[in-house]
Amino acid sequence: MNALESIARLPASAIETANIMLTADDAKIGAASRDVIWTHRKTTLYRYRSNKRKHPVPVLLVFALINRADIFDLRPGHSFVEYLLDEGFDVYLLDWGVPDDEDGETGLDYYVCDALPWGMREAQRSAGSDDVSLVGWCIGGALCAMHTGIEGADSPARNLVLLTTPIDTSDSLYTSWVGRESFDVDFIAESWPTVPGRSVDFANKLMKPVTNFWTTNRRLAQGVHDGTANREAHQAMAKWVADNPPFPGRAFREWVTWMYKQNQLVRGRMRLRGERVDLGRIEQNLLVVTAGADHITPRSNTMPLLDLVRSEDVTHFDRPGGHIGLMAGSRARKETWPGLANWLAQRSGP
Amino acid sequence: MADPAAREPTATPEEQVRRLYEGAETQTAKAMEQLVAGQGFGELLARMTENVVALSKVGSDVGDLVLRNLRIAGRGDITRLARQLNRTEDKLELLLQRIEELQDELNRERVERATKSAAKPVRATARKS
Repeated sequence: MNALESIARLPASAIETANIMLTADDAKIGAASRDVIWTHRKTTLYRYRSNKRKHPVPVLLVFALINRADIFDLRPGHSFVEYLLDEGFDVYLLDWGVPDDEDGETGLDYYVCDALPWGMREAQRSAGSDDVSLVGWCIGGALCAMHTGIEGADSPARNLVLLTTPIDTSDSLYTSWVGRESFDVDFIAESWPTVPGRSVDFANKLMKPVTNFWTTNRRLAQGVHDGTANREAHQAMAKWVADNPPFPGRAFREWVTWMYKQNQLVRGRMRLRGERVDLGRIEQNLLVVTAGADHITPRSNTMPLLDLVRSEDVTHFDRPGGHIGLMAGSRARKETWPGLANWLAQRSGP
Repeated sequence: MADPAAREPTATPEEQVRRLYEGAETQTAKAMEQLVAGQGFGELLARMTENVVALSKVGSDVGDLVLRNLRIAGRGDITRLARQLNRTEDKLELLLQRIEELQDELNRERVERATKSAAKPVRATARKS
């Protein structure tokens, strides 16, 4: 395309780019067929049935509180759930739903001591298995680590997979933002029963302002102009990124105070319902996955876990990509998923 | 350091402009990331957040007061009701779990009893022979 053609194409490219951005909500995400197994308050446990099931231990996926769990099943043809089903796993997904003002008093203890073990129990009953494999991502990974840190070997989790999970936040950018004395998290939690998801998302994007607010859109426009843009991929990701459930006020206060102001988890000082969360009690087969270009949970935030756990079977994968790209990026299917599925398959026998 | 665009004689003017722009964008992105990582920005963000929260609280309190004076249920009233529903749901869930445990226990006992009673005649026959 010469310069003149390129200029002539500009109006059409601009209209097409705007169309992709404006119709992102129409993208189909989380489309794999699933059954509701159990619900409690806003939490729902879904089951994705595999018709090739060959591993008796089911996989339970747990995501963070600040985005929807649909990222595990982003779009047909590019879905971690579909991949696991193809590999013969029975897959369950614990979706925290969309909290509202009445959930403002929901603390981390609800997720760690109630919803997660109850979801595991229902998955066990439904799959007819004594064990489950827990796969937690980001805050979801931290919740899984807290659960196994309390229950230890008593937890029905046989395998524990933690994806880009914050454990030691001492050098996190969040710590310099919300960990400081002047960030009054108590005032926020008292004023807002639930912290709007948009504000949490805005803060996340602010970590890389130019990349998140400008470069992503500029690259889309350039891709459309060059004829290389993938409409479905962009819209699915854009829709997922924009869907931010609110963070229950009490859980937000506890997360910020315990994780960023006091860094309690790695120090073994966190207590939930009187029980100490001791990462040294983790005995499960453990797989820790970090992403080389993760600015939200850099490697240094996760690695201390490896020195704390009691597990004899510990594996660490360091993969390219960012916090989300690790599992949902275009290279995830080749570079991340096979390793995860193999690791699980070797540890999911009868 | 030599300009990468200058090293490639085949690059069209459009490609050169694009590269220059992308280089500038990368530099700006890095500069902005350094800016937001600074202590001053953290302080500013903390104050801004507090102000936004305070303003939204004032707005929502005024709105709720207006509704209450009009004798219409406000957000607070609906939240209170929903919290009661949450508590009831918690109790129901625990009750359901207990019932399921008892049901499992009963099933196990039934299976044991059936196994025992099925084994008895076999032993009796064996003794006779």
